[in-house]
Amino acid sequence: MSKQTVILKADDLSKRYEDGVLALDHLNLDVKAGEVYCLLGANGAGKTTTINLFLNFIPPTTGTCFINGIDVTKDPLDAKKYVAFVSENVMLYGNFTARQNLEFFAKLGGKANLGKDAYYHVMRRVSLQEKAFEQRVKTFSKGMRQKLGISIAIIKDAPAILLDEPTSGLDPKAAEEFLEILAELKSEGKAILMSTHDIFRAKEIGDRVGIMKEGRLVLERTREELQFEDLVKIYIDYMKSEPLSA
Amino acid sequence: MPGRPSGAFRTMVRKEIMANLVSYKFFIVILLTSVLIFTSLFVMARDYKSRLADYQLIRPKPGEPIAVLAPNPLSIFAKGLDEAMTRSFEVNALGIEVRAGQQSGNAIFAFFPAPDFVYVVKVVLSLVALLLGFDLVSREKETGVLRLMLSNPVSRGTVLAGKWLGNYLSLAVPFVLVTLLGFAVMGLDPQIEFGLGGALRALLLLSVTLLYIALFLSLGLLVSTLTKKAASSLIVLLLVWAVAVFVLPNLGTLLARQMVDVPSVKALSEKRQQIWTREVLLAITEGRGKGAPVWDAARKAHFDAVNSEFDKLEADYRMKFDKLVRLSKNINRISPAASFVYAATEMAGTGISEEGFLKDSVVRYKNIVLKEMDRGEKIHAAFAYRYRSVGQVLAQGGLFDLAWLAVFAIAFFAFAHTAFVRYDVR
Repeated sequence: MSKQTVILKADDLSKRYEDGVLALDHLNLDVKAGEVYCLLGANGAGKTTTINLFLNFIPPTTGTCFINGIDVTKDPLDAKKYVAFVSENVMLYGNFTARQNLEFFAKLGGKANLGKDAYYHVMRRVSLQEKAFEQRVKTFSKGMRQKLGISIAIIKDAPAILLDEPTSGLDPKAAEEFLEILAELKSEGKAILMSTHDIFRAKEIGDRVGIMKEGRLVLERTREELQFEDLVKIYIDYMKSEPLSA
Repeated sequence: MPGRPSGAFRTMVRKEIMANLVSYKFFIVILLTSVLIFTSLFVMARDYKSRLADYQLIRPKPGEPIAVLAPNPLSIFAKGLDEAMTRSFEVNALGIEVRAGQQSGNAIFAFFPAPDFVYVVKVVLSLVALLLGFDLVSREKETGVLRLMLSNPVSRGTVLAGKWLGNYLSLAVPFVLVTLLGFAVMGLDPQIEFGLGGALRALLLLSVTLLYIALFLSLGLLVSTLTKKAASSLIVLLLVWAVAVFVLPNLGTLLARQMVDVPSVKALSEKRQQIWTREVLLAITEGRGKGAPVWDAARKAHFDAVNSEFDKLEADYRMKFDKLVRLSKNINRISPAASFVYAATEMAGTGISEEGFLKDSVVRYKNIVLKEMDRGEKIHAAFAYRYRSVGQVLAQGGLFDLAWLAVFAIAFFAFAHTAFVRYDVR
C-alpha cells in the first residue's frame, strides 16, 4: 500500500446529540498508510466521538467517514474489516485466558484458522510475558490488558487502527513499550488514529498532531513543524483561550 | 489484509458456552438446579407410589358401581389435578357421590404447591434463564467489551442471536440430560410404568419446558438491551419474574370470579338436599297407605325426579364452572407461566381439560349404572377411562398454549433485536 493512500478519512463530519450538544463540528481529516495521527484535546473536545463515528457506533449528523474508501454509514460491516480498535480500558473477558480472548476476537475479525503458535507469536511481539498467555485475564494489570488489546488489533491485520486514549493510566514503562509497538505498526504501513491527552507522547509518535476544542479541529501540525514549535505551550494556550462559541 | 469474517455466529455461540463453562457461578446454578430436579422427582415418585398403594386398597371390586382412576405416573412430573381425578366416584340411585380417593400422604403438600417438575421449571428454571440473560448486553457495555466486539465486521443481529443460542444451549443441554436421567431412573422402578405413550408425553412435556426456558432467556435478553447497567436489568427482571410467575396466574382467577357467578359447592349441596327432601316428602304423601304398587310407583317417580333435577343442577353448575375456568385460563394466559402449566399438565394428562373429560366420562358411567339399576341388575359394568391421545390434547388447547409460548419467546427476541440495533454501545 502506497504511503500516500488515505485509509481513514473524515469528510465534513458533524455530530449533534439528541440533547442538543454539538460534539463534533465539521471535522475534516485524513490518515494515510504508515502515518500516526494524534488527536489532542480536553475531555468533551470530540476525540472519542470521532472514533465512535469511524466505528459506526453512532450515526453522523452530517458528513461521512471513510475507511479504506468505504463509507462507514453505508456499509459498516465491510468498512470494519479494515479497521482495528483499541480502547482506553481494555477489559476483555476476565474468565478467559489471554490466548482465548485473542482467539475469540481474531475469529470475529475474520481470522478463523490461526493456530496456537500464531496467537503466542503476537503476544510475544507485544512483550506479554509467556506465563500470562494461558492465564485468566482477570489477574492482569492494566498494562498487560493494554498489551493484549493491541495484540487483538495486530492479529486482525487491518490497514487502519483506532486507539482511544490507549496510554491513559499506564505507568511510564508500559506506555513507552506501547509506543514502541505503535512505531512498529506504523512502519508496517498501518494508518493509526490515536486520541490522547498525552502531549509528550503525541509529539513523540505522531506524524501529525491535531488539537480539538469544542468539536472542532482547531490546529494541525506535522512532525516537521513541531520541531520548531512548543506543542505544550500551543496546547495550553488553546485550552485557556475563550470558548469558540462565545 | 484482513480475511473474510467467517462463522461469526458460531464464534459467538462458542464464546458464550465457554464463558459459562469457565464460570463457577454457572456451575453452582446448574448443580443446584439438577439437585432440585432430582429431589423433586424423588419426592413426587414417593407420593405417586403412596397414592398407588391407596388405589390398590380402594379400587372397586368387580361389579361395584364405582368409578376410580389409578394415579397417573406422569403426575410425578406434572401433578396438576391428578389428586382430584383419582377421587372415588360412587354411583348410587341418587347419582354420584364423590369420595376422597388417593390423597397425598405428604401433609406439607397441603400448605405449599406440590414440588413437581413443572413447579421447579415454572419457578426455578425461569429464574435461572433470567439470571443467564439479564446481563448479556448491559454487562458487556459496562466493561467496554461490546465496543471492541462491535468494532469487528459482525452485525448486531449476529451478536444477539449468538448470545441467545450460546446461553440457551448452556442451560438446555445439562437440563435435558438431567431430566432424561431422572426419567430413566424413574422408569427402572417396577412400580412406575410410563409405557410408550407416557414416554412420548414426557418428551412433549420436556419440549414445552424448553420453549418456556427459551421464553425467559429472551425476556432476560430483552431487558438487558433496554438497560445500561446490569444491576438495573436484574432488578427489573426480578420484578417482572415475580409478577409473571406468582401474581398474574392468580389474578386471572380472581378477576374471572368477579365476572362469572358460580354457586359454591355448599350452596349446591344445600339445593340438592332441598330437592331430595321435597321429593321424598311428596313420595311419602302420595304413596303412604296406598299399597305396595302405588308406593313403588311413587317412589320411582320421585327418585327419577330427584335424578333429573340433580342432573339439571349439575349441568347448570358445570356450564357456569366451565365458563369460569375458560375465562380464568384466558386471562391467566397473559402470564407465560400459566400457559406453561396448562400445556404441561395437559400433556401429562393431569390438566383441567383432561379432568373435564374424566367428569363427562363419570357422568356417562353413572347413566349406564342407573339403567342397570332400573333393570334390577346387581352387577355393574366396570368404569374405564381412556386418556385423550396426544393428538387430541394438542388439538384441544395444547397446541394453542405451545404456540402462545412460542409467540412470547419470538416477540421478546424480536423486541430485543430492535432494541439492540439502536443500543448505544458507548
